[in-house]
Amino acid sequence: MKVLDADVHESFASIKDLAPYLPEPYRGWIAGGAWRGFSQPFAYTSPGLGNRADVRSNDGSASVSDYGLMRDQLLDAYDLSHAVLTGYFYPTGLKLQYGFATALAAAYNDYVAEHWLAKDPRFIGSVQVNARDPEAAAREIDRMAAHPQVRQVLLPVVDDIAYGHPVYRPIFEAADRNRLMVAFHHTTFAQGPYGMGLHYMERHALLPLAMMPQVISLIANGVFDAYPNLRFMILEGGFSWLPHVMWRLDREYRQGRVEVPWIKKLPSQHCRERLRLSTQPTEDISGDQWMKLIDLMGTDDVLVFSTDYPHFDFDDPNAAIPRVLPESTREKILWKNAAEFYGVSDDPRSERSLEAAE
Amino acid sequence: MARHSVCKVADVAVGALTEVKVGRSPIVLSRLPSGEIRAVGGRCPHQGAALRFGCVSGTTGSDTPNELTYGCEGEILRCPWHGFEFSLRDGLPTTPDSESLTLRLRMYEVEVDGDEVVVVT
Ligand code: FES
Repeated sequence: MKVLDADVHESFASIKDLAPYLPEPYRGWIAGGAWRGFSQPFAYTSPGLGNRADVRSNDGSASVSDYGLMRDQLLDAYDLSHAVLTGYFYPTGLKLQYGFATALAAAYNDYVAEHWLAKDPRFIGSVQVNARDPEAAAREIDRMAAHPQVRQVLLPVVDDIAYGHPVYRPIFEAADRNRLMVAFHHTTFAQGPYGMGLHYMERHALLPLAMMPQVISLIANGVFDAYPNLRFMILEGGFSWLPHVMWRLDREYRQGRVEVPWIKKLPSQHCRERLRLSTQPTEDISGDQWMKLIDLMGTDDVLVFSTDYPHFDFDDPNAAIPRVLPESTREKILWKNAAEFYGVSDDPRSERSLEAAE
Repeated sequence: MARHSVCKVADVAVGALTEVKVGRSPIVLSRLPSGEIRAVGGRCPHQGAALRFGCVSGTTGSDTPNELTYGCEGEILRCPWHGFEFSLRDGLPTTPDSESLTLRLRMYEVEVDGDEVVVVT
């Protein structure tokens, strides 16, 4: 069965790798060590320090900067048809120095194009942006959309942005006019409603609670209605909460439509038609429970497989989606739903629209 | 088909709700701005709130977030409990149906006989 992996985290070995892609004065700042990148505000407790313990990076961070290693351990080992590069260096995390953050996003995109996308036609690329400057983000989206492997805009979920706010509209406009999809991924800044908790275990369990508000915000503020061609991917944010959010939003919409009449469909319908959720980290539930959840969602079009390679909570495509699921449903989760989302065909080698950059 | 003389024409006003009983069943009446009288089941199809406590209003529209229009004054009945809205023109909710929830006001035929309002059940 074909497998498309919707969430793979490439990285650089050191932030200084971005220096050649930056204009001055930022090049000098990074080359000179003026900023050492984001630090995570907690210790990883997993044996691999945030990575799978069989994926070691030179600097000990939870990342992988070695394409050959990823090819051997992931792309070839699992015979993936495609892998979506989602990064984990998100300049939106900078809450100041917007020009610097925007330049970093562009530099990172150029770095990824050269060191990752160009090396393997199985890669699908994401545009990284500084979302705090939406107009600049839109320009970066316009710039990167020309790359044939780029299929989506990656919006990082930080602690202070709900993307439905009208100020972020230029980002969605740009994704829409470039026919890109929009994906959301957490960051080391993402929080639940009362912060990160007091333990890594708590912080990690709170991540879905940083994702639900994004769905609520996008629908309540009319982003789904304003851009009928856009579709939205929630990465690594859980999925078993979707029935609750759909039902709750439907109820709120019925009783509060007078305030938000720009919403033209039941939120549950918007979700089923336009929202996709990646499965990793799967909860260890039985095949029966998977099918109950899918039944509650009302469709098996929503779930999309991902590994989260190289991180410690990796899902193995051969084990994470139970084999007792109906073949057609398993195929949708492992391949079809994502292939349709990203507009990719069966064989990247024969695919004109998704070939390595020249 | 039974015809019930339920109240005087003058008892039914635009923007207001008048409750009558046919047997033990409550029915609420309101006059649309066009002059037609509507008679609907007195219990909300959602959880059964007594609609006589609801309000008749207009409703909002919008194609752009944070820009509201307002119209249909006198044609919308909002339930006193959860605020679901129904059109008194056709009894339909202002929101789309879902598979699990189809809500309709029960509409009764109304005739005017002299100064009497007659509801057909
Ligand atoms: S009972 Fe009328 S809206 Fe709930």
